[in-house]
Amino acid sequence: MNPDTLAMAFVGLYYETFDKSRADLGSLYRQGSMLTFEGVKKKGVEAIVAKLTSLPFQQCQHNVSTIDCQPSGAGGILVFVSGSLQLPGEQYPLKFSEMFHLLGIPQGSFYVLNDIFRLNYA
Amino acid sequence: MDPDAVAKAFVEHYYRTFDSNRAGLANLYQEGSMLTFEGAKTQGAQAIAAKISSLPFQQCIHNISTVDCQPSGPAGGMLVFVSGSLQLAGEQHALKFSQMFHLMPTPQGSFYVLNDIFRLNYA
Repeated sequence: MNPDTLAMAFVGLYYETFDKSRADLGSLYRQGSMLTFEGVKKKGVEAIVAKLTSLPFQQCQHNVSTIDCQPSGAGGILVFVSGSLQLPGEQYPLKFSEMFHLLGIPQGSFYVLNDIFRLNYA
Repeated sequence: MDPDAVAKAFVEHYYRTFDSNRAGLANLYQEGSMLTFEGAKTQGAQAIAAKISSLPFQQCIHNISTVDCQPSGPAGGMLVFVSGSLQLAGEQHALKFSQMFHLMPTPQGSFYVLNDIFRLNYA
């Protein structure tokens, strides 16, 4: 499958899951996965899901502006996203950038090995 | 060496080279390296150096706000995620940017850039 198409499909799935059913993000990570969220480092599915579900907002909506991807060598794909994050009750959305390193699994799908998230402050 | 320290040292070297001797960046890439700069894709050290040297500004200063890094897998690679601002000569306001690098080790004990993706962060 074309890497760009794959990257777009993954990004769509990731943020839809995040915005509708955050606990289900666990299926996209594995034991060796790493997340750095605003400088805070977590490792493994449980710790990563715990971090994401404990963020100080119940609802949110990600709007993606740009998606760039490149093969990372050894069958992986790097995906670089920028967009905005709308929290309920907030007048202005927050801008963010996020990068994912995806590795293939036997069923033909991908999991997130590396995930780094940063807000882009004005 | 501590990965965070390696990432920080690389980032400082990269932007110092960019800001003072842009052609010198070619040494940090190899034949299989890839750059996506504001959506434009380039491959290989020469083409990448040409792209960066032809950007429509003579002088610039990168100011780094954040550097995050993670190991990318068993081959010893390192992912580095940078955010900061780019001041162009004559412009009143600095541009915000984010950039990610995938560094791979060289036999000499250094690193080269295999993957490089750059995006401006518009307000």
